[in-house]
Amino acid sequence: MTVLSIRPQAPDSPAPRRAKPARRRRNAVAMMLAVPAMGLFLVFAIYPMLRVFYLSLFDYSLTAPPEFIGFRNFTYLATDPQFGAALWQTVVYAVGTYVPALTLALVLAHALNTRAPGSGLLRLLYFLPVAISWVAVSVIWRVVLNPDGLLNQALGLHLNWLTSSSSAMWGLVVMGVWKETGFFLILFLAGLQSIPPELHEASRLDGAGAFARFRYITWPMLLPVTAVCSVMAVIRGFQAFSPQLVLTDGGFGTQVVNLFVYKTAFENARMGRASAVAVLMFLLLFGLTLLQLKVFARRDR
Amino acid sequence: MAKRGLRSLRHIRRAGAGILAAIMAAATLSACGGGSGDGKVTLTFWTHTHPPMIKLNQTLITEYERLHPNVKIEYQQIPNDEFDTKMLTAMSNGSGPDLLNLDDTTLRGEYLPKRLLAPIDYGALGVASEDALKARYLPGTLDGASADNELYGLPSEFNATAFAINTKHFADAGLDPNAPPKTWQDVASASRKLAAAGHTQAFSFLYLSAGWYTQQLQTLLNETGGTITDANHEKATVTAPPAEAALKIWTDLATGAGRTADPNKTSREATSPFSDLATGRQSMAMVYPWAMEQIRESNPDTFAQLKLVPLPQVNPAKPVNRWYGYYWGVSRASKNQQQAWQFIAYLASQSQRWLSDVKFIQPVKGWDTSAAGKQVPGLDVWSAAYQQGKFDEVAPHFAEIKDAMMTMVNDAVFDHVALPEASRKASDQIDRSLGS
Repeated sequence: MTVLSIRPQAPDSPAPRRAKPARRRRNAVAMMLAVPAMGLFLVFAIYPMLRVFYLSLFDYSLTAPPEFIGFRNFTYLATDPQFGAALWQTVVYAVGTYVPALTLALVLAHALNTRAPGSGLLRLLYFLPVAISWVAVSVIWRVVLNPDGLLNQALGLHLNWLTSSSSAMWGLVVMGVWKETGFFLILFLAGLQSIPPELHEASRLDGAGAFARFRYITWPMLLPVTAVCSVMAVIRGFQAFSPQLVLTDGGFGTQVVNLFVYKTAFENARMGRASAVAVLMFLLLFGLTLLQLKVFARRDR
Repeated sequence: MAKRGLRSLRHIRRAGAGILAAIMAAATLSACGGGSGDGKVTLTFWTHTHPPMIKLNQTLITEYERLHPNVKIEYQQIPNDEFDTKMLTAMSNGSGPDLLNLDDTTLRGEYLPKRLLAPIDYGALGVASEDALKARYLPGTLDGASADNELYGLPSEFNATAFAINTKHFADAGLDPNAPPKTWQDVASASRKLAAAGHTQAFSFLYLSAGWYTQQLQTLLNETGGTITDANHEKATVTAPPAEAALKIWTDLATGAGRTADPNKTSREATSPFSDLATGRQSMAMVYPWAMEQIRESNPDTFAQLKLVPLPQVNPAKPVNRWYGYYWGVSRASKNQQQAWQFIAYLASQSQRWLSDVKFIQPVKGWDTSAAGKQVPGLDVWSAAYQQGKFDEVAPHFAEIKDAMMTMVNDAVFDHVALPEASRKASDQIDRSLGS
């Protein structure tokens, strides 16, 4: 049984004398307990981030001392066709993968939001790809996307999925949709199950059809989940790395920004330039997230 | 009660300070390098993965530790596709090994200009001078680990390029294995006959990584007289006619009238680069001494069908080959450089075992007339290839240049971009890299 020790007080009665120091002491203890976690966060999250900002102003080849060059890394990137291409390829991958994945997840969540026999197993099956690592998925899909592979056989095509600039990105997109739909499906399912069933019952009695119920009840109630999903989709899309590295090594128009950063930093030993890309991406993602939150907040009103 | 609490707090603080002091003392001791109080020296040694090489390294380490009880060698192998990244990162933060084994383009392109390696310690190697050391090796073969007239490593393996043909496939196609293709046009005509006999993957380049693309293109560039950059490494030269001629040979064989295989169906598995030749899918391939040994171990039946012949040439009257080597070197940051060079001296003194057990050819004078050398399959082909070779070109930011080369070949071969356009794009990319 929970005991609440807060005594009701008259609005203008002074607080008990000993309450403040006790609260202060509790807060101090809480702060002390939080110190190790905050310390770790500062050392392993905040410091590296600040260090990346700092390094973006240097020419740093990993093996020689960094040399301050101001904003030259940023001006180089502004005119670098490879960086421009990487940015564009990231946008194509993110939009191509996550718009269908979110749509499909929403549709499937609707279909699976029942207590029908087998729906639990279906949910599990849809979620399975999420549980497999990107590297393992990539190895499996290398077989699927092979010229003699399952996808060509299933569709009756003769495409060289991973060795052509016209199809490599779409091969990765198909794989991405397969891998990511389950993740959003679970979030949407949780959102759907939090909608009180009485709302749908009442609207059904009022004669609302399926589309009207979705348009005026489900969709508005799902808006907070959709906002979270869309923010996560943008972040996940812009963090793409492993499948591009494993399947194409960034060739054939699949060099996404994170792979560009990795190659620039660790293969080409241009750490300062890679840091500048990371800074730009941070600012871009930060801006996009704020924009999304603003849009959804307005709709929520 | 409060007093007891304070006392225990003081006790905890004192104990904490003691533990911290102990940790710091241990850290200070371990930071002092591989030495320990009992006079033992620990050397760390990193190589890439190649099973026969690893096996012999392990045997030699055991022997050396038995001969030198004060030396302990910690041997670590790094997967080939992670090797460059891990090694460079480790060297940059001081956690790299004492001894390393690297290819000559990486050494000349990255490690020597950045002064990451220690120059050879002739005393520790047991030789009187640089000239005395050079006198042991075939002329020019130590240049792969040389910069500013100073030597930084000894060759663990030295490779030239030859051509392997599958004699069974040739027989199926009515071709004479004793009259192998001499030119790249011959390769194309043989491929047509092989395809008619059902061997459709007759010859293919290996599309594995930027490094592999560049080394194969460099082989062709050596034959056409082309280069990637000018002599001073200020401008790209891949749009020049000799360089475009090399790219044309590649694209003709991959996609043109003289098409020899479908490049989309070539294995791109970097962990077993020659799997198509080894499993009998492919009829002809450019090979290196270590590759033949790997095929012999993994697919002895196919190995028995293979015949080693000279590399096809643009001009067979003036054959040109390509060299590349791996070298043992010592990190400049190592605190045990002398002991590391002594261990390298032991590794290098076993050139006969490297030949017999691993088929690594070390370019010591007389290797081909030695007992182990005479047992190397295709000895005459390798010997001739070593006479015609030269090292690859390297330039600043060579990793970026290799990426540009890979993109150029991919554009031309897989995306069917016209050669002038593909090479112009690569040229722009190289110029940007050299100028930044």
